[in-house]
Amino acid sequence: MTRSDAEPKARGALGYGTDLEAPGMLWAALVRSPIPHGRIVRMDLSAARKLPGVVAVVGPDELRTLLPKGALEADQPIFPLDEIRYRGEPIAAVAAETLEQARRAAAAVVPEVESLRVDARIEDVFPEWPSEAAAKDPRVVGHVHARHGDVEAKFRNAELVHSETYRTPGVHQMALEPHACLAEVHEGTFRVRTSTQTPFGLREDLASILGIPESRVIVEGTWVGGGFGGKGAMLLEPFALLLALASGRPVKLSLTYAEEFELGRTTLPSIIRLDTAVQGGRIVGRRVRLLLDSGASLPGRDFAVGYSIGFLLGPYRTETYEIEGFAVQTNKPPFGPHRAPFAPQSVFALESHLDGLARRLSEDPIAFRQRHAWHAGDRTAYDQPVGPFGLEAGLQAAARTAGVWRTGLPAGHGIGVACGFWSTGVGAGGEARLRLQPDGLVILEGEREIGNGSVVHGLAVVAGRVLGLPIESIRVEYGDTATAPFDSGVFGSRTLGALGQAVEKAARSIASTLATRVEAKEVRLETKGGQVVVVAGRRRQKLVDLLTPKERAAGGIEAAGKYYGPERKVDESRVVAGTVYPYQDFVASVHLVEVEVDRETGHVRVVRYAAFQDVGTAVDPADVAGQVEGGVVMGLGTALSEEMLWTPDARLANPGLLDYRVPRLQDVPPIQVELIEGFAGAGPFGAKGIGEPPIIPVPAAVANAVADATGTRVFELPLTPERVARALKLL
Amino acid sequence: MNEGPLAFTLNGKPRRFERVPDAERLLDTLRWRAGLKGTKEGCRTGGCGACTVLVNGEPTLSCLVLSHEVAQEKVTTIEGLSTEKVGRRVIEAFAEAGAVQCGYCTPGFVVALAAQLGSGTPPPSVETLLEGLEGNLCRCTGYCAIRKAVETAREATR
Amino acid sequence: MGLLARSPAGEVAVLGGGTDLLFDLDMARIAPKRVLSLRKLPWRYLRWEAKALVIGSTLPLGALERDEKVRTRLPGLWEAVRDVGGPALRNRATLGGNLGHGSPASDLIPILLALDARARIVGPSGVRELPVDMLLQESRRTTLGPAELIESVILPVSAPSSYLWQRVQPVNDISQVGVATAVVPEGPHWRIALGGVQPRARRLSEAEAMLRSVRPSHFEVELAAQEAARRAEFVTDKRATEAYRRRLVTVLVRRAIQTTLERMPKAWPPRKGAP
Repeated sequence: MTRSDAEPKARGALGYGTDLEAPGMLWAALVRSPIPHGRIVRMDLSAARKLPGVVAVVGPDELRTLLPKGALEADQPIFPLDEIRYRGEPIAAVAAETLEQARRAAAAVVPEVESLRVDARIEDVFPEWPSEAAAKDPRVVGHVHARHGDVEAKFRNAELVHSETYRTPGVHQMALEPHACLAEVHEGTFRVRTSTQTPFGLREDLASILGIPESRVIVEGTWVGGGFGGKGAMLLEPFALLLALASGRPVKLSLTYAEEFELGRTTLPSIIRLDTAVQGGRIVGRRVRLLLDSGASLPGRDFAVGYSIGFLLGPYRTETYEIEGFAVQTNKPPFGPHRAPFAPQSVFALESHLDGLARRLSEDPIAFRQRHAWHAGDRTAYDQPVGPFGLEAGLQAAARTAGVWRTGLPAGHGIGVACGFWSTGVGAGGEARLRLQPDGLVILEGEREIGNGSVVHGLAVVAGRVLGLPIESIRVEYGDTATAPFDSGVFGSRTLGALGQAVEKAARSIASTLATRVEAKEVRLETKGGQVVVVAGRRRQKLVDLLTPKERAAGGIEAAGKYYGPERKVDESRVVAGTVYPYQDFVASVHLVEVEVDRETGHVRVVRYAAFQDVGTAVDPADVAGQVEGGVVMGLGTALSEEMLWTPDARLANPGLLDYRVPRLQDVPPIQVELIEGFAGAGPFGAKGIGEPPIIPVPAAVANAVADATGTRVFELPLTPERVARALKLL
Repeated sequence: MNEGPLAFTLNGKPRRFERVPDAERLLDTLRWRAGLKGTKEGCRTGGCGACTVLVNGEPTLSCLVLSHEVAQEKVTTIEGLSTEKVGRRVIEAFAEAGAVQCGYCTPGFVVALAAQLGSGTPPPSVETLLEGLEGNLCRCTGYCAIRKAVETAREATR
Repeated sequence: MGLLARSPAGEVAVLGGGTDLLFDLDMARIAPKRVLSLRKLPWRYLRWEAKALVIGSTLPLGALERDEKVRTRLPGLWEAVRDVGGPALRNRATLGGNLGHGSPASDLIPILLALDARARIVGPSGVRELPVDMLLQESRRTTLGPAELIESVILPVSAPSSYLWQRVQPVNDISQVGVATAVVPEGPHWRIALGGVQPRARRLSEAEAMLRSVRPSHFEVELAAQEAARRAEFVTDKRATEAYRRRLVTVLVRRAIQTTLERMPKAWPPRKGAP
């Protein structure tokens, strides 16, 4: 099945945020803080206002003069009112007739600043592992502590304790399209068109930060040139809207790649400590300590540490554990979600750790995992029942392939395996509205396709399967937050699983309406000559002939479906502090990789890759394979070359493609994708979300393969040639 | 800096733009003056290939070309290629291979590939065609489906 | 040339392929009032003479990459050119531009040094030729006069050669180090030139001196590689530490010499008087 957006995109016919344009449009540029931490003593915007072409300049004062009181009372107002918390934080904004003029004007604003002490890294806040009392430090913006069982006893009586520390760097989503939006304010309505994964979430956040009711905010999504979590939150829209309000004209704001890197909310560095107690060859206890750099996040805003800590126990039976994580505030942009937020990093640590432990016990790495892996019916660390889970099936398939690859493995080559586990997000939920017209089905959507196909294609496939309609007669129509039904957004691999269920319900409702109308038990739909035909047994009738006058006037039969997932709970008695998150479903990824390591230079070449993915049901296998391939390659970037490099004064040293290296065509090995079906997820037809699971085990698999090839483990990502060379003691 | 008139052939038609500054990039002239948004703006530093157009039939990074450098030359964008046979075949190949996810990189890939396939028979090998795409970045597909699209397009344009 | 001669320093930027210049404009490293394009000059050529290849300075690198004769007769040059940036970038980037820009990380300068390349310069006072080695001063500075332009680069074609580099990614990346080697019939035979070193790419005569014959022994090669690593000056930057660059040079010099040896025809060097 070919996606309906593929051909128009390929010929450049569809518009993204960067393509937005409106008559009378102004171009915006941001004034950004020259220091990472401090206060603005004085900022004179008149220097900018005087320059040619400049129409509006806004700063903290304009929050007071142009917006309601609420704008000043927001947790994080549009412009910082007192404290600058990261280098490059926007402190003012300019709108001018040309982009050149706007940038020149922005550069002309030179604030007088007073610097405060800079926390550039985790170690600047905590030079060693913090005690629980440290949770009271104001720079701890998130803290989680959970435990179960007698950890001390297990470690005391262990026959072996395996202890390691891992480090991971910041990585960036690096979507090809930078953030971009176009804002207009008319008669008190704030309207923004923007490249976003979450129009409704954005509406809520914009209303809050502008101090206005949600009903006065309209968000319309454009086609998105890649999100990967980076376009799931408010970023540019408040500045553009404020400038539109101040100037009375439409305002376009987009970021350069350097600004994308310097401003983007993404995965930040971490330090992870794992201790595992072993008795009788089995894991009997685990201690986890996690320090997560949270950038300039505010207290209570952190979700990552509570979410991530569970992945450091992994999909393995762990009765006795103590886990503690701190999200630490530093002077960098706030932490934000990247594809499978922080899971590739957690899993890098855990799966490397397990791999090393297996070797220490002289056990086959796959067999060792099999002995501990969850099966349906096991309980998670938070005492949830494990649902249908393809981990065992994945491990068996990986074992077979590993056996084949090992035969005749050349010198200097190594094989690594790693397991990832993910839980499909639900968000708050979602609603879908469908309209069956005489010529086909329309799905009304509030958010655009971000690239993975889940909106423009996945939802259509679901509806088509329920109703029997061919995909060519189904189309998705895009509204805005004022006209389209609510949905939480495209993130967390949730679209097919959650919104897909809403679509399924609505489709079934239409089918049921038609069945009643033709007095049959069930109906199927077909198309003939561009017309929808209702088939019940041997009777065939054109839909148009079955519509009531009211339906005819409305254009067709309308139906709505809602999905607000079941509430799942954790055993709170295991939680000492903070919040841990329950899992919605259980999605396994088992990956195998062969590498060749150049023992003289440390260069790692990926020879071949096999991904065994637990998908529940592959609603469109080609589409699903595309997600797996894309996730694996993105993971190879995290594994081998992607890292954000900050200087001691919290400046990003590599804000661009030249020194932030993402995978290229030549870097990609042959990738074998095997979809494991039969372990049903909660989505339509038993589908599980697939957007994020494939990236998760990649760095760990590569690290384990390098360890296999060289006998040496690297404890830090990425495995650049220099880092591997260092581990091999070549320097 | 100065500004002045600029005339060149765009997608087969003579075009003229007035008061084009010396410093303007071809990418911006195409997108904002000619209104052809199919050529995408990415890194603006020649690293991603999203801005690829053809200048005298050769793939060129339009973000690294000053517009006045193409005076009197022939420029072809994705909009022009999509009306030509080779361009159409390449577009179809990409669509059918599942090589279009977010689609932001796709016009750049199509232009770079169409230039190689349109340059006479027999077509270059798949490996050579892929080498010609080394400057194009994709973040969504992992390049796997793109390889398939290249194979299909090569067959379709023999 | 008149324009260049008349204008104050820094006011006019010379545009060859533009791939370095536009980058510098964006980074605001330079802010010229005018840009002078060399596009219309008749310097876009490749000319094989009896014993040399003359490359016009505004010939795009892509033309060199696609030339079969360049690939077979000057493999080191071809290896240096073929992975600079990406294919579309090579349709604009020029040898003259790369040389004139003089970046220490340039992939092209080491092979030009190893091949004893000369540059032909035109200026208000006429035409002059000088070895590329004398054209380069230090990082990003040449000995060109204010109104002088590089018209062409002249490369002798008798020497088997090779160029190896190390980067994190094979293309669209800048080399951490680059090693060019070439061997000529007359002694001293070997040239070893390094890129990615301070203050600029250069030949390492001390390392070259370790290779006493056209076909050196394995031990001589090891010593040459060691000496190259010892003598060169490296910096630590975003791309690599000094220690890692040093290590890479040891490995790459050895491999580059081996590659050049493999390219050497059995009956080489040709005896004097032989065709």
